[in-house]
Amino acid sequence: MALRAEPPDGGWGWMVVLSAFFQSALVFGVLRSFGVFFVEFVAAFEEPAARVSWIASIGIAVQQFGSPVGSALSTKFGPRPVVMAGGILAALGMLLAAFATSLTHLYLSIGLLSGSGWALTFTPTLACLSRYFSRRRSLATGLALTGVGLSSFAFAPLFQWLLSQYAWRGALLLVSALSLHLVACGALLRPLSLAEDPVMGGPGAQLANLLHHGPFLRYTVALTLINTGYFIPYVHLVAHLRDLDWDPLPAAFLLSVAAISDPVGRVASGWLGDAVPGPVARLLMLWTTLTGVILALYPVAQAPTALVALTVAYGFTSGALTPVAFSVLPELVGTGKIYCGLGLVQMVESIGGLLGAPLSGYLRDVTGTYTASFVVAGAFLLAGSGVLITLPHFFCFSAPTSKPQDPVTEALDTKVPLPREGLGED
Amino acid sequence: MVTGEHSNMPVEKNITLERPSNIELTCQFTTSGDLNSVNVTWRKGDELLENNYLINATGSILYTQYMFTIVNSEQMGSYSCFFEEKKEQRGTFNFKVPELHEKKKPLITYVGDSVVLMCKCQGCFPLNWTWYSSNGSVQVPVGVPINNKYVINGKTANETRLKIMQLSEEDQGSYWCQAIFQLGESEEHIEIVVLSYWVPLKAFLGIAAEVVLLVAIILLCEMYTQKKKKHSDDGKEFEQIEQLKSDDSNGIENNAPRHRKNESVGQ
Repeated sequence: MALRAEPPDGGWGWMVVLSAFFQSALVFGVLRSFGVFFVEFVAAFEEPAARVSWIASIGIAVQQFGSPVGSALSTKFGPRPVVMAGGILAALGMLLAAFATSLTHLYLSIGLLSGSGWALTFTPTLACLSRYFSRRRSLATGLALTGVGLSSFAFAPLFQWLLSQYAWRGALLLVSALSLHLVACGALLRPLSLAEDPVMGGPGAQLANLLHHGPFLRYTVALTLINTGYFIPYVHLVAHLRDLDWDPLPAAFLLSVAAISDPVGRVASGWLGDAVPGPVARLLMLWTTLTGVILALYPVAQAPTALVALTVAYGFTSGALTPVAFSVLPELVGTGKIYCGLGLVQMVESIGGLLGAPLSGYLRDVTGTYTASFVVAGAFLLAGSGVLITLPHFFCFSAPTSKPQDPVTEALDTKVPLPREGLGED
Repeated sequence: MVTGEHSNMPVEKNITLERPSNIELTCQFTTSGDLNSVNVTWRKGDELLENNYLINATGSILYTQYMFTIVNSEQMGSYSCFFEEKKEQRGTFNFKVPELHEKKKPLITYVGDSVVLMCKCQGCFPLNWTWYSSNGSVQVPVGVPINNKYVINGKTANETRLKIMQLSEEDQGSYWCQAIFQLGESEEHIEIVVLSYWVPLKAFLGIAAEVVLLVAIILLCEMYTQKKKKHSDDGKEFEQIEQLKSDDSNGIENNAPRHRKNESVGQ
């Protein structure tokens, strides 16, 4: 395969977008709709809700912490075999879960096995997408990520129907069959050799290089802060509304409203990110600041119309910040190191995600209302956007897009030691 | 003690009763005409009741009160007070034992699996519970623990659970749980469907085959287009590489893209 000087920005890239779209749907859509199975598991195993919730938590944690593994393997073998293997693992986990006789069985099959499968699929795919696009990277990412929101809509009723026809065992078998499509998505990820690849070295060298890269580390810190506050409304909005004496159905409906404005925000932001010159980090800061302000305004809003408006805005801005968050990374570290970079970022930012919801819940328990929780979440987002200002070229007005140049010069300096230390594996 | 009041319009009241009780039913009737011309009677169902009721008149309102005791299930039912003037006005009191939950969706289970059927009574405490299954019109009591197949227990007095283990296709059908009170019984219907694993497995294998097909198509398409490209590009590629090698003094191929890129950015 010939080495390319630049990302193709189209052509087969759009098939990669399609693959990423279905993968976001099959990984996160499944995760988000798993609540439907929750009730069945509580009844079938006669276990308390808290213990059953661990199934999803373990799955999410394994998916995020396993991201660097997915990245490292993709750097070595290319994304295609890794994602296909991940798809098989994810489906296998669900298949074994169908025969579960205890809750522990489910922790291991869905949580550990499927979680590992998901870790091997999502991150390599997004990284692959970043390599296929440069000028239209944000739009491509935004489009791909809409898969998450749309699938949550479709899968929840689908899973409910599967449960009514086949009970949870049969339904899990069929969700496993659904997850097998990840393998087909993986097949679409044609390997792409970019100019800077051969000098990047193997995953070990890349990881070490990234850990000494100042802007990358600052960016990781920023994303971790953002992640801590980001999920709070999805987790606690309904409870907050119930505190304000809303009925359960309108409260759940409000969350669906956010789920609608979310993909709109993603695509709009993706288009904007490519259309506006200059570092994408500035747009990320814009959306993050807006989201932070909105979160801080939640306790002030009492009237239903104000809450609806805030939620629509939250859906839009929080969706908007996702594609640009992924686009900043290639600008920082170059497309050659994108796999490892993305894996590391996912792993570290997941700490924020894991801590955010319990912290918010703790504040609620201590103060009695969700006011403190929302304000603190907003503060985390604003802190994250503050750290973003420290990224290089933030205040420049020229257009440093993904730079294959710099990593090549960097790598040339390290090229000589690599083969001698035996780190660079080809 | 139970009291009821009605006025002017035919009205019905439902009363839930679990234990034997003393009952006091009251009806009031307002009319502008002559109270003495109103004929007052009490009936249980269609049967006229003879004694134990009082009639009282105050101003333009006529009161009647019926007192009795309910001890067993024969005394449950509908009691009505009748006021006959030009037309007949009545008020009805319906006595029933507590009802169990309403309809449930059929439970789907698999061969070899086990299932728990549960019946619950809200705020009431039956004396006893029984289970039976019906195939067609024959009702068969269920619950004798033969071969460890059935286990009946309940965590609290107001619920009962029937656990059926090692399900087979013969266990499919309707099951009834019956709550027994001193004053009668109440039942609930649950249906069980027993599927074999083959049913979802067939669907699974079908979808898996579809995925394998998709992957094969994608990979074959790719091999095909690459073969075509290779045949047409082979000649061109060779030329390009030869040219680069001679242009570049270092001979390091990787610098070549950088070179070209520099040129284009400079423009």
